[in-house]
Amino acid sequence: MGDLLSLFINSVFIGNILLAYFLGICSFIAVSKTIETATGLGFAVIFVLTVTSPVNWLIYHGMLAPGALAWAGFPEMDLSFLKFITFIAVIAAMVQAVEMVIDRYSPLLYASLGVFLPLIAVNCAILGTSLFMVERNHTFIESVVFGAGSGTGWMLAIVSMAAIRKKVRYADVPVGLDGFGFIMIIAGLMAMTFMMFSGITL
Amino acid sequence: MQTDLSHYKEILIKGIWRENPVAYQVLGICSALAVTVKMSTAVVMSIALTLVAAFSSLIISSLRRWIPSNIRIIVELTVIASLVIITDQILKAFLYDISKQLSIFVGLIITNCIILGRAEAFAMANNPADSFVDGVANGLGYSMILLAVAFLRELLGSGQFFGFPVIPGFLYDMGFQDMGIMVLAPGAFFIIGLLVWLKNSLPGISHEKK
Amino acid sequence: MSDKKKSFKNSRIYVVMFALGTALVFGVLITSAATMLKERQLENMALDKKTNLLEAAGLVPEDKKTTPEEIKQIYDTHIREVHVDSRGRVIENPTGSSLQLYLIHTDQKVQGYIVPISTRGLWGKIHGYMAFEQDGETVAGFSIYSHSETPGLGGEIESNWFLENFEGKKILNANNQLVSVGIAKGKVENLPDKLQDHYVDGISGATLTGRYLSEGLEETLTKYEPVSIIFRQKEESQAHVETILDE
Repeated sequence: MGDLLSLFINSVFIGNILLAYFLGICSFIAVSKTIETATGLGFAVIFVLTVTSPVNWLIYHGMLAPGALAWAGFPEMDLSFLKFITFIAVIAAMVQAVEMVIDRYSPLLYASLGVFLPLIAVNCAILGTSLFMVERNHTFIESVVFGAGSGTGWMLAIVSMAAIRKKVRYADVPVGLDGFGFIMIIAGLMAMTFMMFSGITL
Repeated sequence: MQTDLSHYKEILIKGIWRENPVAYQVLGICSALAVTVKMSTAVVMSIALTLVAAFSSLIISSLRRWIPSNIRIIVELTVIASLVIITDQILKAFLYDISKQLSIFVGLIITNCIILGRAEAFAMANNPADSFVDGVANGLGYSMILLAVAFLRELLGSGQFFGFPVIPGFLYDMGFQDMGIMVLAPGAFFIIGLLVWLKNSLPGISHEKK
Repeated sequence: MSDKKKSFKNSRIYVVMFALGTALVFGVLITSAATMLKERQLENMALDKKTNLLEAAGLVPEDKKTTPEEIKQIYDTHIREVHVDSRGRVIENPTGSSLQLYLIHTDQKVQGYIVPISTRGLWGKIHGYMAFEQDGETVAGFSIYSHSETPGLGGEIESNWFLENFEGKKILNANNQLVSVGIAKGKVENLPDKLQDHYVDGISGATLTGRYLSEGLEETLTKYEPVSIIFRQKEESQAHVETILDE
C-alpha cells in the first residue's frame, strides 16, 4: 500500500509527466488560456489515462510481451515490436468509446468535456504513460495507480498554468518574448517548483 | 513561372526557417525536450524524426487519391506508426546504446504533432515530390531547434560537446561551475523560451501574437 | 473529381477493403523488418551484458575504445558463468533456487566474483553487477546497466563518479558481520569513522533512489553470503573453484 502511495505521489510531483518529461506540451499551451477549459481537459486526461494504462497493460502482457502468447501455443512469439501501433490504436478506440458513453449517460458532462476528447487521442502524455508503464515493468495495479497519478500531475500542471496566465495577462513582457516564449519560462519556473518535492520521503 | 529548383527551395526555406515548426507553429516539442540533455541523443532523434517526416509525407501523398476521407487520420497514423516501428527496430539493431538512452521517446514520434500536421495539411493536397521536400524541411527545422537546445544544455550543464569536455580548465580554477539546472527539466524550458525570444527578434519573421 | 467516383471512395466496401489492404501491407512490412533485425538486436543485448560484466570487474581498458570482438575475447578468457546452490556450492544444472554467479579468472586462478544486482528503484527496476575481490568482502567494482530513475536526479546512479565510489568498500564490519554497502544521505565524510568503509556518497535530490538501492544491495548480498563465506576461507575456495575451471 505504501509503495502504491509513493508511486502515486512520485508520478504527480517529482516525475510529473509534463514538467519533468515534457509530454503533452502541445495541448498544455493551447488549452491553458482559461481555468475552466484547463480543468475540463485535465479531468478528461485523468479519466482517459486511468482507463488506457491498465487496458494497454492487459493487451501487452496478454498478447505482445515475449512469451505472452504461450497460452495460445506460441511460447516463442515476441510481438513487442507492435506495441507502438497497438497502444495508439487502443488509445484512439478508448477515447472514442469514452466519448460515446459520456454522451449517452451524461449529456451535461459531455457538453463540458466533449470537445476535448478528440484532442486527447494525439496527446503524447497518454501514449507516453503507456510506454513508460511497459518500460518500467509495472504490475497491473501499479499501472492503474501510475495512470491516475500521471493524469493528476498533468491536470495540476495545466490548471496552475492557466491560473498563472490569468494573473500575468496584463504583465509588461518585452516584445518578442510575449506569447510562447513567456509561457515556456513560466513552465520552467513551475518545473523547478515541482522538483522541490523530490525531498519528500514516504 | 518558377523553375523546379527554386520551387523546392521555397518549400525548404518555408519549413526550416520562416514557419519553423517549433517556434512558430508551436508544434511538436513534446517529444523533443527530454532527449536534449546530450548532443548525441538529440542528433539521432533529429535524424529519426526527419526521416519519418519525409517518408510519411511521401507515402501519404502518393496514396492521397485512394485514401477514403473518413478513415484518413487512421491511415495516416498507421503509416507514421509503421515507419516509427521500423526506425526503432533499426536503432535497436545498429545503435543499441543510443536507442537505450532514447528509450520511449522514439515511440513518441508517433504523436509528434509536426508529422501528423504535415501529413494532414500538406501531403494530402500536394504531389509526392513536394510533400517529401516539405517533410524534410519541417524535420530539419525541428532538428535545428532541438540541436540548439541540446548544444546549450550540454555545454552549460556539463561543460561538454558530444561528450568531450570543452570548457577550458582555467575557467573552473577561476570558480566557474557547470550549471546543474541545465541538465534538469527546467533548463530546457528556459532555453526554449529564450530561443523563441531570440528568433522573434530576428528580422524576416512574422511576429507571433498572443 | 466526379461525384460518382467520390461516393465510391467513401462506400463501405471500399473503406473496409482499403483498411484491410493497408493493415496487410504495413503489417508485412514491419513484421519483416522486426524479424530480420531480431538476431542483431539479441546480439547487441548479449554484448551489452558482457560489456557491463567486464566493466564491473574493471577489465575494460579505459584508455581506448574496445571493439565487440575484443569484448567477447576478454569475456571468454576471464569470465565464467556458474550456478551455485543455497550453500554456495557450484552445481551443474541450475534449479529453481540456485543463484547465478560470474567468476573472474586469469590463468586458471580465480580473481574474484560478480553478483548480479536487481532491485527496485523509485520508478522501476535497477539492474547492475557488483564485482568482489577474492577476499569475499571488498567491492572491486559496480556497474548499472538499466534503470528508469529520473534523469539528472536518481539517474545519476549510472554516472562514473557515483559508481567509482563503491570500489574498495567493505561489506563486513570489524566483527566480520555482513553490513553490506549503503548509499549515505549526503557525504560519507560526515559519517562516523567506523561507518565510512561501508557507505558511498549519496546523490542530492535522490534520497529515495539511494534508499531503495541500499536495501536492494543488502538483500542481494545476504542471499549471496554463502558464496562470500566460501571465498573468505581462502585455500578451500581456491581449490574448489579451480577444479571447476579445470573442466
